[in-house]
Amino acid sequence: MIIEKKCEPASTIAICHLEPGEVIYAESGAFMAMKGPVQFETSTRQKSGGGFLKGLKRLVSGESFFINKFTATAKSQVYLGTALPGDMLIKKLNGEKLIIQGGSFVASEPDVNIDLEWQGLKSIFSGENIFWVKAKGTGHVIINSFGFIYPIEVNGEYVVDTGHIVAFEETLNFEISKASSGWIQSFLSGEGFICRFKGQGIVWCQSHSPRGFGHELRPYLKSKRG
Amino acid sequence: MNMPVAPVRPTVAAELLGSPVFRLIKMTLPTNTRITVETGLMASQDTNLDCTTELNGNFLSALMAKFFGGESFFINHYSNRSSKSATIYVTQSTPGDIMVKEMKNESIFLEAGAFIAKTGGIRSETVWAGFTSLIAGEGLFRLKYSGTGTLWFGSYGAIIEKEVKGDLYVDTHHLLAYPSTVKLSLKLAGGLFSSLFSKEGFVLKVSGNGKILLQTRSVKGLAQWLNTKFWG
Repeated sequence: MIIEKKCEPASTIAICHLEPGEVIYAESGAFMAMKGPVQFETSTRQKSGGGFLKGLKRLVSGESFFINKFTATAKSQVYLGTALPGDMLIKKLNGEKLIIQGGSFVASEPDVNIDLEWQGLKSIFSGENIFWVKAKGTGHVIINSFGFIYPIEVNGEYVVDTGHIVAFEETLNFEISKASSGWIQSFLSGEGFICRFKGQGIVWCQSHSPRGFGHELRPYLKSKRG
Repeated sequence: MNMPVAPVRPTVAAELLGSPVFRLIKMTLPTNTRITVETGLMASQDTNLDCTTELNGNFLSALMAKFFGGESFFINHYSNRSSKSATIYVTQSTPGDIMVKEMKNESIFLEAGAFIAKTGGIRSETVWAGFTSLIAGEGLFRLKYSGTGTLWFGSYGAIIEKEVKGDLYVDTHHLLAYPSTVKLSLKLAGGLFSSLFSKEGFVLKVSGNGKILLQTRSVKGLAQWLNTKFWG
């Protein structure tokens, strides 16, 4: 399968070129268009099963309950987009594991197993959602971001604000830490918690934080009619 | 006449990444340099940078910046006290472009919330902007940045530079930055009727000579549009 990106980085879409028999699973809502004979199926499960429980697990990780399965019966194309303006990361896995910010998963090939990742108590403070999504296996995985994505090769230690993590390799460990020297200062600094990555591997960061934009909008939004 | 020779000091190197829609600043700080960043705008950083949080000026000016200038009460300093250089990525909360201004003993006024970062030689103050601003919903005060150094500020949307010669009328939420050589005053957008019902209300009349910067979107405009989607 060849996947190309178009309209980067502000309104990126992924165009998946499917050979006959090839399958892509996409988050419900990501589908934009398709060309050629493609079978379209909505379910709560991926190939490896899981069913209802898997749907529920996706729901708590900030993804949707249902997932769409696209099967090409002949050469065809599937166009995938996302709700937020921003870029996409298309990563081909060769057996390794990728940990993705909950809510950022877009699509994957059948041999990539998607599951919840609970990173312990630190998960609660580490991102937009309590759970992370774990992608492991062989094949492509598509991830979206708010803003554009920049990769950082960590060798030793690196600090990322919790609202700016898109995904990271499993060779990296992270711990929740304070942004400033003291806890009170950290709270006042507006950064709150930060993620301190340790080890060797890549962390993909997004240029903008959805939470930050939300805070900017909040004073002007009305909480009720009138 | 001999020009005074300034001591060679390490300076912060910075480049703008991304497209004008989603701009991001990558700053490289050599040993013994410091950068001041608005709170909450650090995206990621090397571990050899120390973050200290201080009042935005003294207590009174911090209070004024917070309540009248729309800026935060606190400000973050990132210092490199290690022996090797350090990198920090700094962003803004809205999607949009970022502007870098090299200042040499000059000053500029910024729209509330536009400030991102500055180097040491620039000080900020909240100054009285007259009754004009009160009615326009812009607050009574304006943020003035002056001195010598580098200043970064950002927009929601793109940034347009406009040369003012004589009068120019702009919407209050689209004025991003202006020099002290221009004066602002408030005008009705049309007659009394259209001012009240057109949603434009008042417009700012910019007069004098100088370059002003406009942003092509406004956060308030987006929020108002969203409000109609939520609540009809």
